[in-house]
Amino acid sequence: MRSLPQILRTTTVRLTATFILIFVVFSVALLTLIAWQSSYQIQQQQTADIDREVRQLERIDRRQGIRAIAFAVQRLSSQPGPGIYFLGDPSGVYLLGNIASVPAEIILEPGVYSFDYERFRPFDVTEEGEAKLRRGYAVVRSVQLPSGMRLVVGRDVVERQGFTAIIIQAFLAGVIGILLFSLVAGGITARRVLRRIDAISATSSKIMSGNLSERVPVTRRNDEFDGLATNLNAMLERIELLMQGLKEVTDNVAHDLKTPLTRLRNQAESALRAGAGDEDRRKALETTIAESDKLIQTFNALLMIARAEAGAPSGTLADVDISAVVADVAELYMPVAEDAGIELATEVTEDVHLRANRELIGQAIVNLIENAIKYYEPAEGKAARIVVGVRREDERVLIEVADNGPGIPPEDRTRVLERFVRLEKSRTEPGSGLGLSLVDAVAHLHKGTFRIEDNDPGVRAVIDLPG
Amino acid sequence: MKILLIEDDREAASYLIQALDEAGHITHHATDGETGYAMASGMDYDILIVDRMLPRRDGLSIVESLRAEGDKTPVLILSALGEVDDRVTGLRAGGDDYLTKPYAFTELLARIEVLARRSSPSEAATTYEVGGLVLDRLSRKVERDGEPILLQPREFRLLEYLMKNAGKVVTRTMLLENVWDYHFDPQTNVIDVHMSRLRAKIDKGHASPLLQTVRGAGYMIRD
Repeated sequence: MRSLPQILRTTTVRLTATFILIFVVFSVALLTLIAWQSSYQIQQQQTADIDREVRQLERIDRRQGIRAIAFAVQRLSSQPGPGIYFLGDPSGVYLLGNIASVPAEIILEPGVYSFDYERFRPFDVTEEGEAKLRRGYAVVRSVQLPSGMRLVVGRDVVERQGFTAIIIQAFLAGVIGILLFSLVAGGITARRVLRRIDAISATSSKIMSGNLSERVPVTRRNDEFDGLATNLNAMLERIELLMQGLKEVTDNVAHDLKTPLTRLRNQAESALRAGAGDEDRRKALETTIAESDKLIQTFNALLMIARAEAGAPSGTLADVDISAVVADVAELYMPVAEDAGIELATEVTEDVHLRANRELIGQAIVNLIENAIKYYEPAEGKAARIVVGVRREDERVLIEVADNGPGIPPEDRTRVLERFVRLEKSRTEPGSGLGLSLVDAVAHLHKGTFRIEDNDPGVRAVIDLPG
Repeated sequence: MKILLIEDDREAASYLIQALDEAGHITHHATDGETGYAMASGMDYDILIVDRMLPRRDGLSIVESLRAEGDKTPVLILSALGEVDDRVTGLRAGGDDYLTKPYAFTELLARIEVLARRSSPSEAATTYEVGGLVLDRLSRKVERDGEPILLQPREFRLLEYLMKNAGKVVTRTMLLENVWDYHFDPQTNVIDVHMSRLRAKIDKGHASPLLQTVRGAGYMIRD
């Protein structure tokens, strides 16, 4: 699937890594704060304890004398715990207490100090009968009692430091745990996201290799990936439809252009046939010209549609009197309709103007009228009639060609707009099957629509333009 | 007529020259724009047939230069570009007529014969007369051998165009362009139907028909 460096380069992995980093930095900061805060609290507590004991002992010294103070210090010293006590005479000579020696400058100069000390361990004596010493580090307060005696009270801080060490250990373990957890969770998330993105990539490469019916898988989670997948699928649907349309048109072009080309070739061949007389040859050549003229017409129609569909260059639109165009074209076709036994009437609202391409609008109306005449089938006992009209309705201009003939079945009404589509019964009539496609393209060129409605009976073809 | 053909496609040109020769015209030929322009400004021709896309100098610029120099020789522009806007730019550049490839030779011949000013009645003539048929452009009245003929406005314009070019062939597309001002090709025989109606009005009851159908080309009015 992907190599490791590739995976590391993905957006998902980079995002995950960023979040892990932010998480770790935040955790470290938080834990540091907690450690520092607790250490500080303990220190405060110890200082307060020391001060309280010093005050008590001072009070005892002041009220009860040397015996009482000696007794009190003796009692405190013999208690297990972090307490450190030293009682000396005014010159600083050791009298009592649980530490062997205190530097003279600490004893003689009242204040707060911290120093390495050696402490007697009660009930722990060497074979020679000497007390064993325990080393430690203490914070102490040194005072001179009212009686002149020197007192040093302190607390061992090794315990406190031990506590800090525990916190730091816990903290390190926490950070490592968080890191591992984030990496695993991030990896899983990245993998899941990558898998879905890879699925989309895989689908698109299948589509690029030609399989247009492939679709991106959609899960039931209904998340943003599913949203994306659904949209992509909708887009693919549309593309497939367009491709199908294109293929149909190409097939039709191939068929509808190949047929006359084949006829053309056959005509030319028969003219060259041995034994063909002058008259035969002349006839074959005349047919050849007629066929090629038809082909040229088809090409022109196709080009015109393509041009109209591509949109008009701005210079070709001008103010056009649509009423005049409709009336002109209707007048042009009136005799043809009359010869076919159809009454061609006009219902023209005067003076309808529009920014349009006069030639294309004219051609569109011609196509509609020619269709109406060509495919007219007289109904029983009814006078054949085609009405060509133009009118304004709200902000729109409607150009209509309506007949009372046999009509087009509803299911075929949009199909006939497609290129080269000719309904079964019209296959035998001459024509390219492009007439209505061109009308549709012309309507779109003018930002309007073309539709075929039921005229009950008959067909009403409507070019609906914004005006 | 003396014709200058500026066309780079040698095969198309030689076919055209031969056909024009058979129709009784003398044709000079230039295969590129510069030579064509030099020949057109150096000699007196009755008509120029100019292809739009030419090597060295394009057809439209030749026509523009000639017009700028005051040369009024009629010009027929040939082009593979047949869109409405192409036609408009062609005519705006000074062309008198525009024909889209591929075209029928009869169409080209009819157009250049109508374009050549020689032997045409002047634009200013107020009446046209062909074999007893008289058309008065001012009073818009038509009569044949003194008998008035009632025509619809469009029929009048149709006859006016035919009579202005009396003795020359006019094609269906020329009629559609000049009488109706549209350039599309109708699939049905619209023009023929109009012509048969006009013929019924002017020729009915007369021994010698004036309006004649020229097979494979179009129509012509003459006595």
